[in-house]
Amino acid sequence: MVRAWRGNRILFLIFCLLLSLLLIGLSNAGLLGPLEEVASIPLNLLTGVLNQATLALTGGVSDLAELQTLQQRNAALEDALAVLTAELVELREIARDYERLAEMLDYAGTAASQEFVTADVISNDQTGLRRSITINRGTRDGIAVGMPVVTAQGLVGRVLEISANASRILLVTDRDSAVSARLQGTRVQGSLRGQLSGNLRLTLVPPGESIVVGDLVLTSGLGGNFPPDIVIGQVASSRQFQFELFQEAEVISFNNFDEMEVVLVMTSFEPIDPGIFDEMEN
Amino acid sequence: MGPWVGLPVLLLAVALQTTLVPQIRLWDGGPDLVLLCVLAWALRAPLAESVAWAFTGGIMQDLLSLAPTGQSVIGLVLLVFVVNVVTEQFSRAGLLTLLLLAGIGTLAQQMLMWLLFAFQGFTVDFLDDLGYVIFPTVIYNFALILPVFAVLRFVQRRVEARQLVAR
Repeated sequence: MVRAWRGNRILFLIFCLLLSLLLIGLSNAGLLGPLEEVASIPLNLLTGVLNQATLALTGGVSDLAELQTLQQRNAALEDALAVLTAELVELREIARDYERLAEMLDYAGTAASQEFVTADVISNDQTGLRRSITINRGTRDGIAVGMPVVTAQGLVGRVLEISANASRILLVTDRDSAVSARLQGTRVQGSLRGQLSGNLRLTLVPPGESIVVGDLVLTSGLGGNFPPDIVIGQVASSRQFQFELFQEAEVISFNNFDEMEVVLVMTSFEPIDPGIFDEMEN
Repeated sequence: MGPWVGLPVLLLAVALQTTLVPQIRLWDGGPDLVLLCVLAWALRAPLAESVAWAFTGGIMQDLLSLAPTGQSVIGLVLLVFVVNVVTEQFSRAGLLTLLLLAGIGTLAQQMLMWLLFAFQGFTVDFLDDLGYVIFPTVIYNFALILPVFAVLRFVQRRVEARQLVAR
């Protein structure tokens, strides 16, 4: 009897494992899409509600903990505000000059012409090995795969998967994310990749180029995946090993990806698929 | 009734996993609440019921992540079979058994997830992932298995009592 049960148990285990592998295969092939979409609806609803509550709770707790440092930060921010206000006046003048020149060249600034859809963040990726978020907007709201996602603090990522009322965003901090970027000050170009630590690394910078700590990192628009001139972050440090072909720089995003509540999806930007040229050649 | 109780319990665990856990991460690792729930329930439940919990929890987890549906299920199913064998050998699972199962089970599940991600072509770095994600997750699960087990044992007793009354 015990032997028979043990035999059954092993068969049962094999059956379960095969079923799991079948699920993975079907999911990777996209055949489970409609089912996954339906099953995600209650999960997304619940996580959306819980996420708001959790962010409010953790926000309250951290605010209390930081009460003592708030006064010092306030004073520092006031000083910074005074400096930035002076800079703002200067930059407004430059912007006016730029607008006049752009009109002359019949060139429309890309960011000004973009259209956005606002979305609430309803969950974060639970694995730890990947970095993604889910938002409560989907195809019904005009969102499509590849669209860039931003906040006022800068680039967040791009739409990777989509359903009728939700989308999964691959964050720029994911290791499979690569963004063509350039430094604002020196115009040096490179490729920005996500790191497990949550920071970003600017790679493929030629050795002779100057990387200045504190310089802003913007999208370059190369590759056609993102529009140019979206702020990504700030250079924290740079390094070059003696025998390396390229320099690298650590970049810190202005976004706090774990505590994001609202993001903007650039619905007017259509990413370009360079693979179309390969197909044309063939 | 056990499998049906699993639905709200695992739904809550998955929801907390994607909302609360990112706020309390140690480096990049956080408690794997679904694994803890499945393990705690499997210690005192029949095999078929535990497998149902493993499938439900795993699929829910995958629906809220970049992983393809079914990836988390494999590790959880293996875990409940191991738990079933262990509890068959020792009539009462003691504290040490519970802690060992949580530690080794989490490590195995995380390694399996890592392997499956690597196999599917995602970017992975073994040493970084081990240090930043896998070990912190093991430590968290090691610390949390006792309270999770206590809560689920309470739920399990209530379910058993209801089943007895129904008979």
